[in-house]
Amino acid sequence: MRGRIVLAVIVALICATAPIMPAFTLTLVTEALIFGLFAMSLDLMVGYTRLYSFGHAAAYGLGAYSTALILLHFGLPLPIGILAGVAVSVVIAVPIAWVCTRSTGVSFAMLTLAFAQLGYAMLYRFKEFTGGSDGIGGIPRPAGPFGLDFFQGKVGYFYLVMFCLAASFVLCSVLVTSPFGAVLAGIRENEAKTRALGYNTRAYKIAVVVVAYGLGSLAGALYTPFAGFVAPELFFWLVSGRVLIMVVVGGAGTLIGPIIGGVFFVMLEHQLSEVTELWPLAFGAIFIAFVILAPEGIWGLLTRYLRTTQPEPRDAGQEASSAAS
Amino acid sequence: MNVAGFLAAQSLNALSQGAILFFIACGLTLIFGIMRIINFAHGGLFMLGAYVGYSTVAWTGSFWASLLFAPLVVGVVGGIFEKVLLARLYARQDSGAYLMVTFGLAIILAETIRLIWGPQPLSVPIPDRLRGIVLIGNQPFPIYRLFLIGMGSAAALLTWQFLERTRAGLLVRAVAQNAEMVHALGTDVSAVRTGVFALGCAMAALGGVLSAPLLTAFLGMGTNVIIDAFVIVIIGGMGSFLGSIIGSVLVAFVQVFGSYYFEDLALAMMYLLMLAILIVRPGGMLGKEE
Repeated sequence: MRGRIVLAVIVALICATAPIMPAFTLTLVTEALIFGLFAMSLDLMVGYTRLYSFGHAAAYGLGAYSTALILLHFGLPLPIGILAGVAVSVVIAVPIAWVCTRSTGVSFAMLTLAFAQLGYAMLYRFKEFTGGSDGIGGIPRPAGPFGLDFFQGKVGYFYLVMFCLAASFVLCSVLVTSPFGAVLAGIRENEAKTRALGYNTRAYKIAVVVVAYGLGSLAGALYTPFAGFVAPELFFWLVSGRVLIMVVVGGAGTLIGPIIGGVFFVMLEHQLSEVTELWPLAFGAIFIAFVILAPEGIWGLLTRYLRTTQPEPRDAGQEASSAAS
Repeated sequence: MNVAGFLAAQSLNALSQGAILFFIACGLTLIFGIMRIINFAHGGLFMLGAYVGYSTVAWTGSFWASLLFAPLVVGVVGGIFEKVLLARLYARQDSGAYLMVTFGLAIILAETIRLIWGPQPLSVPIPDRLRGIVLIGNQPFPIYRLFLIGMGSAAALLTWQFLERTRAGLLVRAVAQNAEMVHALGTDVSAVRTGVFALGCAMAALGGVLSAPLLTAFLGMGTNVIIDAFVIVIIGGMGSFLGSIIGSVLVAFVQVFGSYYFEDLALAMMYLLMLAILIVRPGGMLGKEE
């Protein structure tokens, strides 16, 4: 519990000081939060269902590109445009989820990777719309709805991102503590057993993949007006790898962990890449060290350290799984 | 234009590309068959092979020396990686952990190579004896590509004979079937694992050395080839040796003919092929359904 309180205080502090932060810091924080949301969405698959996706960039890229095209061509107000981009991505995610969940384990990982690469290839195929390797630039932040122009500024945009992250966090918390989340935990621990109990595990897996893609595309959609341009690199497999690293280093199987991982890496990367050329090397080494030595991630280590007086209640999914095993 | 000659030349072209792909896909599938590990670093090891090959040619002036030395170096690197890092994860029985650790290694390899050899592409000359062209129909065809087809076929034959006819190959197949039983019968299973992992890495390196005279040694080569190799092993069936041969040839043909006949779909063709096969057979052509 103590960890969560500390975190809530930090979040409140950031929100309160946002209007007086230097523009540069605010931009960095906004980017970090977008990646935090992206990492959290992936963790629904990786940490809660043990569906290893190596193509989560597909969700990010889909959200980014559909939002870019909608904002450019339809002149919708900014928040509506973002929501429309997410809606388009969710529709596309359904057949992807259907195909990917036909396989399990490593094949699943490779299939998700293939879809991301397919998306990358399609950007070159439909150059007229996507700009090919140039991407799309000059994406506006239209005002509205109702003439509201708050989100056009840096500070307003930060609050928009923070709001989306908080809303997604609440949505995910409800999801993973619900009976739905308990079934996901069942799939994670023993899919055959869960199926034998009468659950249609395939349907649950499709559902969680679609939700994860939806929230991942929200992160991508938020990135588009933030950066003002989109490029094919958003679909690249290194993006998928990076976000997976954020999840694992932050703490897979929790919701806060991946957010911390995303924020941690964006900040660290920014600081270190200015100091040393060796940063990517360190990135790889840190990642390997966490997988082998501390699979519970930063948040896992932190809660273990903070849990000195009172035991932290675990979420329903984990309780269900530990009861089952 | 002579259509038959053109088709023959393009087919040989595809076969030579398939030969390079086979080197990496075969190592990948051998490792997967034994250890249930998908080695994400395989592309990085392929790339390391190309760069070590470049340096060997630069020092000794002999392409043939690089064909021996680079796989040796990369095999040792792979063996050490397996012993020091991967072996710690076997008890966890979590396929995702392997994927992540090898992904970390892929990043480290790419960065290390960039630090040692720099960001510029390095060209490796085609050895004198393999330079020049032959006429096929009336289409000119590089001799080096014929050499690649020969090397690929020889490697496929040798690996097959190794698996089917030698005692070591028998052990490898036995470990793939039931590692615990082999262990109980008194074989050092962990040594077999290390050996197969090193062998798979060495094969990837050989592919890297062979591809360098065609494509130069460059930093993105590992990424390009690992994605192709994943597609191949999924199409062929995870862990199926024959599947990796069929998959390599199939993917190479799709790439070569796809880029000629369906220019704007060329990049996507391979993935569409894979999706089509997986929708019919989720385990791949020769794989078992999980």
